[in-house]
Parts: sequence; structure tokens; C-alpha cells
Amino acid sequence: MVRDTSRQSFLGISSDQILADARVGIVGLCGGGSHVAQQLAHIGIGKFVLCDPDIVENSNLNRMVGACRQDVEDRRSKVDVIAQRVLAINPAATIRKAAGTWQSSANELRQCLAVFGCVDSFQERAQLETMCRRFLIPYFDIGMDVTKSRGGFTISGQVILSMPGFPCMRCMGFITDEILASEAQRYGAVGGKPQVVWPNGVLASTAVGLFISTILPWQYRVETPLYLEYDGNAFRVFPSNRLKIVAGTECRHFSNKDDLGDPFFGRPEFSTTAKA
Amino acid sequence: MKPIFKIRRAMLARIHADLSRRHAFAAERVGFISCRVAALPGNELAVLAHDYHPVHDDHYEDDPSVGAMLNAAAFREALQYSYRNRAAMFHVHRHEHHGRPRFSRVDVSEARKFVPDFWKVQRALPHGVLVLSHDQMHGLCWLPASRATTPFERYMIVGFPTTSIAEVQGGQGYQ
Repeated sequence: MVRDTSRQSFLGISSDQILADARVGIVGLCGGGSHVAQQLAHIGIGKFVLCDPDIVENSNLNRMVGACRQDVEDRRSKVDVIAQRVLAINPAATIRKAAGTWQSSANELRQCLAVFGCVDSFQERAQLETMCRRFLIPYFDIGMDVTKSRGGFTISGQVILSMPGFPCMRCMGFITDEILASEAQRYGAVGGKPQVVWPNGVLASTAVGLFISTILPWQYRVETPLYLEYDGNAFRVFPSNRLKIVAGTECRHFSNKDDLGDPFFGRPEFSTTAKA
Repeated sequence: MKPIFKIRRAMLARIHADLSRRHAFAAERVGFISCRVAALPGNELAVLAHDYHPVHDDHYEDDPSVGAMLNAAAFREALQYSYRNRAAMFHVHRHEHHGRPRFSRVDVSEARKFVPDFWKVQRALPHGVLVLSHDQMHGLCWLPASRATTPFERYMIVGFPTTSIAEVQGGQGYQ
């Protein structure tokens, strides 16, 4: 059956081909990544790099869209479950599955037009962003948190577009040395963070919309917000105030020439050097 | 080896702005793009533009037979930059039209003379030439291991919007 994309024809006459040619990486396939992957499959993205080292667990079923009880019983990997969902939606898609850490499949991510980071830790976010900056790849970060506050709970989250040349997550104050150090101290003692399906859906949809606007500028030129905050109690997504601090500035953390490319390329002293 | 070229849209705009400036006697301006390199799966090679280096006004020679003729100082400066910064270097100029640009015979014959010189300072890196039109680009890459010259497979412009243009498509602009 030929895909009928007439309902999204406003994306442009070349949009079907552009989407089919696009390779997108998704790191983390549970709460956020499972939404992102399936939305991208519906839109018509043709090539996926799916990364997640985990199998589906019972505690994932409250938010991992596409996973079911049988997947838990069969101890299926998250990449297998999501790859199956993607192919059910778009059988023409090609998928590279990385069922280990994303770092072990970083070569596959280098080829992507964009990478979505749907990971839990700031350390991983920082590493993903660094990798994406190194290979001039737009990086879309999503995440949510539930914290106990006076009289109840607060749900918050973010969607950040880290575009090469533009302010990075450090410029925006989202990642700091203090946050990384604090996280490192808590390593191994964090336990399961509270996660629910609907904020992940909001954040994933927002990130997918931002991505599509980036590769298919269907709307009138507007300034793309690089950092959107989510207030899950007020059900609002809004540009972060932190953008005012970095407005009109270039990134000062990834502007050095040594932040770009493969540092070992063409250096015979390293045995793993690739040859052109 | 299939090379692809990636550049930030803001840098591309800066290059266009520089190449649009009139020169006292040269009919066109040229510049150099310094790049870093990375190997990709599938035998691909990413050439990642890092910075643009305009050619100084007094590094042009007055030669009405060509659009722009550079003197030895222009190449010496580019070679020095490549040597000191471990940079792959790509000469860039622009043809004043829209649509797919093509190198002229003079462009290619001149490039064959000067591009391999960059291997004297960075022998393990690719170097080459790019020609822009007002909305597209085309480039040739000299590969270090095979010493072969090959066109880029794709051009990716990263920014708002982010676009990827395959060399064979031809008809689609990046702006």
C-alpha cells in the first residue's frame, strides 16, 4: 500500500522525499523516545538509528507507548519493540538497532541528520550534545521530572534544541558542572524516577514539531525557540526565560576547531585512524 | 570513499556576504574554508566546515583573463593555516546564478595545480574546491589515501532550516 501523505502536503512538495531520505537517531526508547520514534514513523522518516541498552520491564508499561505485557514476559529489548512499531507504521523504513549503550554505536549516530536524546541523566545529555556538536548534528533533548512540593507534586520538563553554532545546553544554564558533580555523587543511589506518559507525550510531540520545522520550514519565518519549558501543573509549554540571557550570542563552549570532527583522523600515531 | 560536506548555515551566509563584496580589479572574490574531518559508516567521509578565510584584497593579481587570480601570498597563507591547525582546506568561489553550479575548465585545471599542494603540509587530510551558486553548491574532494578526486555525495547545511542535498538531485536549492 502506497503511503498517502496528502494530509501533510502543506509541508512542501519535496517533503515526502526529504523525510524518506532523513536519518534520525533516537537515544532512549522508553517514556520520551517511544513517542518520538512512532511519530517520526507516522510522518515518514525513512531511516532510524535506535539506541537503548535495556529490555522492557513491567515498570515501563505506564509510559512506553507501543510496549505491552507480552514484551515484558518475553524479555524483549526496547530497540526490538520500537523497531517493530516503526516498521508496522512505515514498512519502508530502514532501522539500525543499537541494543547496547549509545556510545558503542556512536559511529551510526554520526550519520544522522538529527539526534533526539531521551535520556535520564545530565551526564548522558552532556555527552550526546558533545558528540552532536562534533559532527554538526542538531540535537533535540527532552526530559521531565516529578518533584514533591508543598501540598502535592510538581511536573516539569524541557525541550531543548542544541543547534551547532547556536547556544548549547551549557550556555543556557541547563547543564552545569555543579549539576554534573551532584549527579555523579548520587550515582547508583538514584532509584526509579517518577515518570508518567502524558508529559512525555507533550514533550515528544513538541520536539518532533520543532524538528519538522527545522528541516521543512512550513511556517512563516519565526525565531525558533531553542529552549522550551513545560509546566505540567499548568499544562503549559513556553520559551524559557534563560533564552533572554543567550539571545543573539554564539556558543562559547563548542566554538574551538578542536571541538569538531574526529580528533584522530589522519593521525598515523593512532592505529584506529580511518583512511580516506 | 564517499565524501559529504557539512557547513553551518550562518557560516555559509558569511561566505556569501564576503564573496559579494566588489574587488578593485578582480571580477570575483574567492576564499578558503578550513575543515575538520570524520570517518562515517558506509565508507563515508564527513568534511566539516569550521571557519572561513577571506583572501586579502592585495593577494589578488590583476589578470583580466580569469575571474580571480591569486598570488603566492594567498596560497602561502592558506597552506600555513592548514599546517598550523591540522585543517583540511577547501577553496571556494561563486558563480553568479541560481541552480546547480559547475566548475569551468579553468576552475578544474587550476584546482589540479594547487589542491595537491595542501598534501605537502597535511598529507593525511582531504582538500578540495567548492563552487557556490546563489542557492546551491558543488564540490570536488581530493582524497589522501587514494589520491583520487571525487565529487561530494551530499551537502548538508545545518541551521534554520537544516537541509541535505544529494549531488545527483540537482534541482533543489538550499535557501
